[in-house]
Amino acid sequence: MTKNQLNAYIALLAAQAVVISMFENAIPFPFAVAPGAKLGLANIITCMALYTLSTKDTLKVLTIRLILATLLGGTISTFMYSAAGIVLSFLGMWLVKKLGPDRVSLIGVSTTGAILHNIGQLIVASWIAQTWTVLLYLPVLSFAGILAGIAIGVMANYLLNHVEKLHNYRSLRELNE
Amino acid sequence: MGNYLKMIKRWDIILITILVLISFLPFTIFSVVQAKSNNDPNNINVAVISVDNKVVKRIVLTGNVKTQQFDVHDLGGDCNTIEVKKNRIRVKSADCPDQNCVLTGFISKPGQTIVCLPHRVVIEIKSNHEPSQDIIVSS
Repeated sequence: MTKNQLNAYIALLAAQAVVISMFENAIPFPFAVAPGAKLGLANIITCMALYTLSTKDTLKVLTIRLILATLLGGTISTFMYSAAGIVLSFLGMWLVKKLGPDRVSLIGVSTTGAILHNIGQLIVASWIAQTWTVLLYLPVLSFAGILAGIAIGVMANYLLNHVEKLHNYRSLRELNE
Repeated sequence: MGNYLKMIKRWDIILITILVLISFLPFTIFSVVQAKSNNDPNNINVAVISVDNKVVKRIVLTGNVKTQQFDVHDLGGDCNTIEVKKNRIRVKSADCPDQNCVLTGFISKPGQTIVCLPHRVVIEIKSNHEPSQDIIVSS
């Protein structure tokens, strides 16, 4: 990859993540059982970035996505929620991915991301509300997170295997390691 | 479908199990802490009876063994008969039209209340440890 290609690819991923998360916000959530649970479609992008880019560039994608999503329809409080979720889920996904492709698949990585995202957001929520009873809601969100994480993992895996460019970038990255 | 099932590796399952267990951690800690504070001998529940926002009587419920009964009169002279039985309190009878306070029955836990709106009588149980309250958060 040349430098320009890399920059364009990072920008593309960030833009896609922003659009996907805005699109997702427009869908009314169909299940009344777990209010606050989300599909987390933008997690696809994080997975793809993790598998095709270096750690530094993945962080770039996530930062751009966070700032853009806040500017395009967020508030300071949504910024804090998403920042906590993104940082925690990135750390978790990065660590899990370190286990290596023989041990852990994309499903594990994306589920870790989904659950840790919830944990991060609830920690911020309990800090804002000054009570940690909010964390009691975690099991409900984790269950939703597992289902969403599996779906996202399968989707990301499909994309990485079937979109030619992504497939190439992934092999390129694995060569560099 | 079979391809996707094959995709799942052993560590995926281990990780998901660990994460689910972690998500139940706050719940476990919370129940342990609550069980402790309920058995805490320093924890004293006090029933505060107020009429028209003015406290008229305080009764220590924790460690109470007697049964006592008394009347509380509001500004208009209407009457609520309150009964304290061991560590519980209730409105035994009242001459209010809706009888909501009587139907509430006995209360004994911190944070519980009996309200008689027509007479503006409120009985609230307070504890020296603030009870956890339900909150609503929206983002």
